Amino acid sequence: MDMPPVLSVRDLSVDLAGPVAGRRILDAIAFDVAPREIVGVVGATGAGKTVLAKALVNGLEPPLTARGTVRFRGQDILNLAPRAMRPLRREIAYVGANPMGALDPTLPVGHQIAEKMRAVNPAVAAAEARRRVVALLDAVRIPSAARRFHDYPSQFSGGMMQRALLVDAMISDPALLVADNVTQPLDVTVAAQVIRLMRELTERFQTAILFVSSSLPVAREAASRTLVIDSGRLVEEQPTEALIARPRHAYTRDLVAQIPTIWTRSPALPRTGEPARDRSESSPVIRLEDVSQTYRVRERGTFAGTSALRAVRNVTFDIHKGDSFAVVGESGCGKSTLMRLLSRLERPSGGRILCDGQDIAPLSGPALLGFRRKLQLVLQDPFNSLPPRTGIGAMLEAPLRTHGWRDAGRIRERVRAVMNDVGLSPALYDALPVGLSAGQRQRINVARAMVLEPEILLMDETLSSLDQTEQFRLLALFEKLQRAHGLTYIFISHDLAMVRKACNRIAVMYLGEVVELADNERLFFDPGHPYTKALLSAMPTLEERRYRPEECLLDGEPPSPIDLPAGCAFRSRCPRAFAPCAAEGPHLVTRGAGALAACHRVTAPGARPVNADAAG
Amino acid sequence: MFVLSFLARRLAQGAIIITLVSLLIFTLLRVVPGDPVRLMVGGMAPDSLVEQIANRMGLRDPILVQFGRYAGQVVRGDLGHSFVRPANGAATGGANFDDATRAERAPVAALIGEALPMTLQLAALALAFALAFSSLVGIAAGLRPGGLADRFAFAVSSIFISLPNFWLAIVLALLFSVKLGWLPAVGYGGFSYTILPAIVLAVELSPVLIRTLSGAVAAQMGEAYVAVGRIRGLTETRIVGAHVLRNAAVPLLNLLGVQFSSLLGGVIIVEYILDYPGLGLLTINAVLQRDFPLIQGIAIVTSAIFVVINILVDLAATIIDPRLAY
Repeated sequence: MDMPPVLSVRDLSVDLAGPVAGRRILDAIAFDVAPREIVGVVGATGAGKTVLAKALVNGLEPPLTARGTVRFRGQDILNLAPRAMRPLRREIAYVGANPMGALDPTLPVGHQIAEKMRAVNPAVAAAEARRRVVALLDAVRIPSAARRFHDYPSQFSGGMMQRALLVDAMISDPALLVADNVTQPLDVTVAAQVIRLMRELTERFQTAILFVSSSLPVAREAASRTLVIDSGRLVEEQPTEALIARPRHAYTRDLVAQIPTIWTRSPALPRTGEPARDRSESSPVIRLEDVSQTYRVRERGTFAGTSALRAVRNVTFDIHKGDSFAVVGESGCGKSTLMRLLSRLERPSGGRILCDGQDIAPLSGPALLGFRRKLQLVLQDPFNSLPPRTGIGAMLEAPLRTHGWRDAGRIRERVRAVMNDVGLSPALYDALPVGLSAGQRQRINVARAMVLEPEILLMDETLSSLDQTEQFRLLALFEKLQRAHGLTYIFISHDLAMVRKACNRIAVMYLGEVVELADNERLFFDPGHPYTKALLSAMPTLEERRYRPEECLLDGEPPSPIDLPAGCAFRSRCPRAFAPCAAEGPHLVTRGAGALAACHRVTAPGARPVNADAAG
Repeated sequence: MFVLSFLARRLAQGAIIITLVSLLIFTLLRVVPGDPVRLMVGGMAPDSLVEQIANRMGLRDPILVQFGRYAGQVVRGDLGHSFVRPANGAATGGANFDDATRAERAPVAALIGEALPMTLQLAALALAFALAFSSLVGIAAGLRPGGLADRFAFAVSSIFISLPNFWLAIVLALLFSVKLGWLPAVGYGGFSYTILPAIVLAVELSPVLIRTLSGAVAAQMGEAYVAVGRIRGLTETRIVGAHVLRNAAVPLLNLLGVQFSSLLGGVIIVEYILDYPGLGLLTINAVLQRDFPLIQGIAIVTSAIFVVINILVDLAATIIDPRLAY
């Protein structure tokens, strides 16, 4: 650090002006960023990271007030007036966590980037701006950039949009880029690509990056030096590797300790109801036989044409009593459709779903209610899934009343019992859910499902909105409930670290198909499908990597489920694709010991295509 | 290609709507009390004559048969002839039912053709007044919710929405033409006669437009792209002018499509009160005189206008916001 810092923050405090008393969000933050350096900022949700990022780019909105100094090349920009700040926007760029909301939805992406370029640098002619945008879109590997220039934000996927916004930030050759949680909404494989891209860009454009992230492993991928923020205070600052190896502050030590490990320690494997070897003999609680779901979507530009969106394709597997079964995959892989099918919110367009040997599609009336009692759903979003003006007790009573309970005393007793089970204080019985933390709210969701004493709980991304600590506590709760009530769990998730810790059997989905089905240990240490390997390689951890991402995944994104390519759906991103992959889609093939994978490269001894009965 | 398939689909839907509307009007006219033949021939004519004329005009056939005959004419572009109005202008009375001039009844198409441009002129001017006023007030209010402009917008909207249009028409006519002599009010004798009724209609339209516009602008100002746009270095003028207003225009456009029906409704009362020779006045007289062909013709024309306006509004909204295309 012989060069003068490009950004120098001293004594930065931000207060939230409230009607009664102000609340301090950031307290006396001080650090420097050298040219071309990538500095990570990590901290838990609510620690003040986003406020810090906004303060550094002079983007705080009224109820927040800042004091201290933020010097950019020696000039204090913290409370600069918008007009004086505008010329500096060319040098200080910002990318946020919400790529889909960052641009006007009604104008083409390329036009808006060119508009920005001309706003910060009026000397550039329109044609020149357009040429540079296309060149940069091409540089961040957006396919057919010249055509994509005219596409609207809604026609970009999240990953492509985030790359377009990086173009938007880099278009004016800034000296500093503040990247606020840019990978948070992205799938792991796409996030890995974006981080790789950012590292390339710092070298090419000589830009310093402040990389804000809520995940230490992600920050480690990008940053050479990392700051740790806890409740608005900067508690530690070290080179990233040293920070992970020798954290000095107690908070950092906790943070490092809470990062789930994948490879080094064998996790406490969940407790299947019966020993695993009996699995093939016992009858499954849930059985999917060749289940498909196809939606008709209107085709643009035709009179009445529709095209088929094949969201779930020929999925076959069994779930046994006591299993913690995981369905993993990235956005758009069909996980959520599968959840809707399993919970019978929708009927499959092909195949059958059996619960205890009974097809659930034709159920109606009391029989359907009986199935619903057996299988309950716990939703993802703890904030929108609870009615805001209903008491917690009343919320938990409602399912009982729906299922025919009439005796008010018994209902109350049952609700109290289940609240006790999930760790909710009985004092909350008459309280409203306002002001409860995400973790507490998610407990209400679990209680609402548990109150009917179901046999199967279907968890749709239940833990993904919680921070590491809360996740840990809820997983412990799930384990306790499973032991006490003999529950079967189905986790629908994109979080492999959580799955590694909590599930014994895992199905990996890609573009509507199950590409691999195996037990926990086998899937992580001996994946049969290249996509599974790519997922594992892209997973950010603090441990030494088992799989190198450069070798496991090609650039690009999944094809559209409307125009499925012939042959294997993964071949466009697969580094091991060869001629047969283009000709024919692979079927699930057994690799022995209950592990199956759908790949032409899998040649287990005695490999044979499986039918519905053998899967599971 | 998209526009063509969109138009084809929507025009087909529109044709169905117009057919159903005219069938409904046709049926209702024939089942409600009030015999047009009795009105035509007058109270003194013998019942046998009423029956004779009714039979000759086909009014005693089953309704569907009558409708089929009528629809056949309409498809060929013939909306029929008025029962009551002669081609030369003066209304025919009941006394002269055997008058030789009876054959010279005015074609419905011609009657509507005279009145419609007048009403379209009035509606366009009213819309222009309403949009100009609402944009000024509504955008200013939306940019600063809770501010002075917002409170002003609320007060103005509350007052405007509480004013009955018939009362306002009379008061404005008294004020501007009788007392001040600035504007002519009653009848029609040139463009200036359109201004007063247009103001009355604009006052009726404005509150909803202001409310929608200020709500839409305020909502757009809270969108992420506005905050991010400032950080990206866009000027406030550019953010509001090029992005916020563009997005806020979509709900406004959709509202205009619906508000158009209330405009046509408002036209009837205002035209009647100010004796403005448009479609509204024609409608009222046609209803009072049980002039079946004229009422049906007006119904078909107004529903066709309604369908076309809504297609145009949807098309415009799709051009502004391509996500609406399906």
